[in-house]
Amino acid sequence: MSKKILIVDDERDIVETLAFMLKQKGYDVVFAYDGEEGLKLAKEEKPDLIILDVMMPKINGYKICRLLKFDSKYKDIPIIMVTARGQAQDIAIGEETGADKYITKPFEFNELFETVKSYIGE
Amino acid sequence: MAKIFLISKDTNIESLIKTNIEDLDCCTFNDLNTEWDFVSNIKEQKPDLIVIDSNFENFGNYLKLAKTSTIDDNNQIILIANNKIQKEYITYCDGLIQAPFDNDVLMTTIKSHLKIKKNFDKLIASNKDLSKSLYQINALYNTSSQFAGTLNKDELCNIMLEGLNRILSFDIATVLIFGADKSTVMHVNSLCEISKTLMHALKMRLTLKYNNVFEDEVIPFDVDFDKIKLIEKIKPSNNIYDLKILNYDTLFAPIKVGDNFFGVVEIIKKEPFTNEDVTCFQTIVHQVALPLRSATLYEEIKETNIKLEKLEKLKSEFVSIVSHELRTPLTPINNSLEIVLSGQAGEINNDIRNFVNMAKRNVSRLSNIIEDLLDLSRVQTGKLEYRFKKSLIKPSIDLVSETFEKTAQDKNISFEVNISEDLGEFYIDCQRIEQILSNIISNAIKFTSSGGFIKISAEKDTLPDDSFVDPVDIVGDKYLKISIEDSGVGIKEEDIGKIFDKFLQIESSLTRNIGGIGLGLAITKQLLDTHFGLVSVKSQKDKGSKFSIYIPNYTDSLVFRMDLAQAVLKNQNIDFIYIRQKENSDFVKNLKEKNILKRIQNSKEIVINKDNYEHYFVYLPKLEESAFNFMVNNIETEIKNIEASGQKCGILLETATKSQFKKIENLLKELIRGNDE
Repeated sequence: MSKKILIVDDERDIVETLAFMLKQKGYDVVFAYDGEEGLKLAKEEKPDLIILDVMMPKINGYKICRLLKFDSKYKDIPIIMVTARGQAQDIAIGEETGADKYITKPFEFNELFETVKSYIGE
Repeated sequence: MAKIFLISKDTNIESLIKTNIEDLDCCTFNDLNTEWDFVSNIKEQKPDLIVIDSNFENFGNYLKLAKTSTIDDNNQIILIANNKIQKEYITYCDGLIQAPFDNDVLMTTIKSHLKIKKNFDKLIASNKDLSKSLYQINALYNTSSQFAGTLNKDELCNIMLEGLNRILSFDIATVLIFGADKSTVMHVNSLCEISKTLMHALKMRLTLKYNNVFEDEVIPFDVDFDKIKLIEKIKPSNNIYDLKILNYDTLFAPIKVGDNFFGVVEIIKKEPFTNEDVTCFQTIVHQVALPLRSATLYEEIKETNIKLEKLEKLKSEFVSIVSHELRTPLTPINNSLEIVLSGQAGEINNDIRNFVNMAKRNVSRLSNIIEDLLDLSRVQTGKLEYRFKKSLIKPSIDLVSETFEKTAQDKNISFEVNISEDLGEFYIDCQRIEQILSNIISNAIKFTSSGGFIKISAEKDTLPDDSFVDPVDIVGDKYLKISIEDSGVGIKEEDIGKIFDKFLQIESSLTRNIGGIGLGLAITKQLLDTHFGLVSVKSQKDKGSKFSIYIPNYTDSLVFRMDLAQAVLKNQNIDFIYIRQKENSDFVKNLKEKNILKRIQNSKEIVINKDNYEHYFVYLPKLEESAFNFMVNNIETEIKNIEASGQKCGILLETATKSQFKKIENLLKELIRGNDE
């Protein structure tokens, strides 16, 4: 059975292109366009990995990350946070909230793919 | 009219004098009651000439009295001697006539002495005038030399009024002065208290007079009578001036230079003003106009500066916002292009591949420019976060060289890294050091053609002699120098100075005049500045360039200064910086409990990891002053003292020893001086 990835980002175009590429690599992809929906899906779909944007309406990425990482049912799901580059403060907060990996925008798909691969394989 | 006192029993003399001299007031004393009578008569009537006859009883006494009681007035005393006179008496008189005498001799003697007296009087009068003029000139000079000392309008006005008071000693002076924002200030100086009605009348009168100056012209500033700000300087006194004073003599003048108009001034005085007074008044009023113009210009410049600063900040913020907005769509564009390129969305032919590749290349170029712009605006606004840590520098150099080695080899450029293992630790933000190295190395690769070389080396060195570093910024004589040498196109000598200039780079990255080297070097310079480092370049056109970056050795004082500089940069408005050891937070807790911190707005706490720092409480409001005068153990009293004295700066220590304090104080002084510019 193929691994399931949840993408949460309010930029629809980013979600769509990422979903397309990840599907091409053989992953099962579900996605949400805001934090609330993302958190709901994370709990319902129990994905193998979550790609999470930081700046989002309703609930931001940090909060989702913290909620999931402090919940024993979900704490083992790897979370890749995606945010604007160069804000050391963001990265520091991200690390505190327990994100497994931090990727800064704009990123190459291959960079993201390598990271995904390292957590859940191809 | 000449006045003569005659003391004689001989009535012939009086009639003789009266018939021979016109315009005369002759007063004969032939029966003096007391000596006292005589003296008081002299003092009251101030005779020009006293003639004393030796036939008068006790004439010697009168002679002495006449001499002593008129000593300052230069009256003339003539003695008529009827017989032999003691020598002593002769010294008391100015003229002596021996009887028997010819009438003509007496008359010519009297006349010539009257003439002498007249000339004396003239001399004294002109001397008085002279000394008054001298005093006025002195006061004028004093006042005008004081004008040069200030650019504050109120102060200038005060100097003018004080000068006028010294020279003309007025009762009341009123001045209307216009501020930069068209606000009107009225200065009132007075010798006595001023009644309410008079104050109102003075205000009204000056405003009316001001309007009258521009009878047929446009008034430069409208005076809003109700909004005039009053600055009073009134001597405490039991008397109160009332409306009667408006009948006194007055002098009025507008304060202006050419067409520049600054205000009006009026002085009121009980005694009438002389012609000299008018001249002095006009001179002073004329002289204050020039410095007032400078003050006005200065105010305008200050305001413009503030506006410019705001604009600069707005610009940086604008760049930051726009860049963020521009960046967001780039990710999906890039992703889409990648999907097309991968062939997953359908077959593509070579032409499509070439064009999509071209698009992709330019997307990444665009995104690099945006990142650079963002970085630069962050550096300028102090929003760039640094994570300074004591770290090894070798891994950063290795990481960057590994990244670029392949790119260089692909271009057939030899890539040589010659760095020893034991470079040691530095107080750096590794990410930023990597960014600095990447900027320089990527440029080197970009501008070196196939077959060339790039050499990276590192060594301990002192700063190059020709480097323009503010001595304050030099933190020690030991630096690590990392050099990146290439055999590329080089830089024209006249361009070398420009390559780190952010404005030029922004321009050139848009117009690509200098080959689009981007904002990277401008950012590099800023990043190194924050590290108290330096970047220098040696280059020859068509031969190659050698960029060297200097990073200061790790020392405690460096760490302290960098931390403090960061705190200051990030919080331009802080009043106090409190620096404490990580383990010890009681100090601040105490301050908070005692409500001391509350009184200091904008305090900022820096936690320092080093354990050898004591507690420092540093006060640096906007870095305006560099005086550090405070070192005490009792924080509470000292803060009170600072507040009371209005001191701009202070440093407070809890437990530091004197020598430690000296060290920190020097560091801070240097730091403040460095940031003042």
